[in-house]
Amino acid sequence: MKNNAWKLKDVLLIAICAVLFGVVYLGCTYVGGILYGILTPFGMASLGYEPFYGIYFMAGAFGVYVMRKPGAGLIAELLAAVLECLFGNYFGPIIILSGLVQGFGFELIVALKGYKKFDRLTMIEGAVLCSVLTLGYNLVISGYNQIAVPVLALMLAVRIVSAIAFDGIITPLLADGLVKAGVLKGYAVARAADAADLED
Amino acid sequence: MKPFLEQWNPTVKAATVLVCVILLSVQYLVSLNLAVFGLCVALLLAGSRCGLRRLAALLLPAGMAALGLFFMGLYYARGGAADTAALDTVSALPYAVRAAMSRNLYTALQLATRLLAYAGLGMLFALSTSGEFFIASLLHQCHLPPRFAYGILAAFHLMPGMVREFRQVRLAFAVRGLHVHALSLKPIFTMLVNSVRWSESVAMAMESKGFCGDAPRSYYTVPRVRAYDLAASAAAVGGLVLGMLFLRY
Repeated sequence: MKNNAWKLKDVLLIAICAVLFGVVYLGCTYVGGILYGILTPFGMASLGYEPFYGIYFMAGAFGVYVMRKPGAGLIAELLAAVLECLFGNYFGPIIILSGLVQGFGFELIVALKGYKKFDRLTMIEGAVLCSVLTLGYNLVISGYNQIAVPVLALMLAVRIVSAIAFDGIITPLLADGLVKAGVLKGYAVARAADAADLED
Repeated sequence: MKPFLEQWNPTVKAATVLVCVILLSVQYLVSLNLAVFGLCVALLLAGSRCGLRRLAALLLPAGMAALGLFFMGLYYARGGAADTAALDTVSALPYAVRAAMSRNLYTALQLATRLLAYAGLGMLFALSTSGEFFIASLLHQCHLPPRFAYGILAAFHLMPGMVREFRQVRLAFAVRGLHVHALSLKPIFTMLVNSVRWSESVAMAMESKGFCGDAPRSYYTVPRVRAYDLAASAAAVGGLVLGMLFLRY
């Protein structure tokens, strides 16, 4: 019997990790900012932040991968978005809207697989879907539908590569490392690892 | 007595901002975008205690982002010359002059001012809402479970400690002669281990002080939705709809 309720400990884990990923992202925005500045006169400014776009989804990816229960992706991204809003991002509550879209990406993939498969392939698929969905959000909300298609394709390509790297590969790698270190006892990801060990 | 923007119920305020954003996303009026942005900044200055410094600290990145989007629209607007021009022809100036003369300029302005309008609305919320008040309002107006509400607040207040710890972890690696750059996984992994530990200790601390997510509890502040909260929202959304109907460019 799986326990789908969120304990205080779970909420805190996801919220604290979301803050941590936010701090990492902040570190990257310095690099992204320089790239952005260099690319601005060429009209490719938005491309400066794209290589780090995957960090945005890390809270959702981590939540899905560690918790492995329905709603984990959405709840993790919403927690991250509310926190970002509290820290005074200039987009304020609009972040909550984009968080919803990001969380939906991972949620949809794992829901389609009946919340049973959480392997690398699933995470990579989630990362790709997240990138596509967020570009869809940009098309409608940010007005990117006014931008030429080749440029959008280039942005999407960079975003997908970034998302696969950060969310499809690095996040599961970090979580597996945590399981090995023995700190995630009691979480679904550790139980799955134990079960896999028994089968071997 | 708090200024009026700070009194506005945070949930109602956030919902108003989101409705305005969705309305703004279906129109392409430069003048309306600029009006929304200007009005938001003016309201912030008149109706909140946010200092000019904090306002500038958010306006600067927003302005930069708008500038980046402006150039992107200028060179690569859909249906403009960029569709036929190859992507690698970024030899800037003569093309820029040609692009500026075409209708790309208007598209560029639409994109940039739309971002400014969003930033204005976002700042209107961010700079006039205290974290505690927002969470309290989510608790009472959105019925967010207390476990989530207080979990978010705990993580929020852990942030300064986490930044300090992150710096120390990186320093510890450097002391051992291990080079760490911005994206090194080692310090991030150490921080993740710390985060799991913190989440356990904070949860234990809260529970040992009697925090239980399910039991009824009393609250120090209970935000309410009053008539003027709704009136302010109606005025904001109504004004925006009027602008969409009557403004032309």
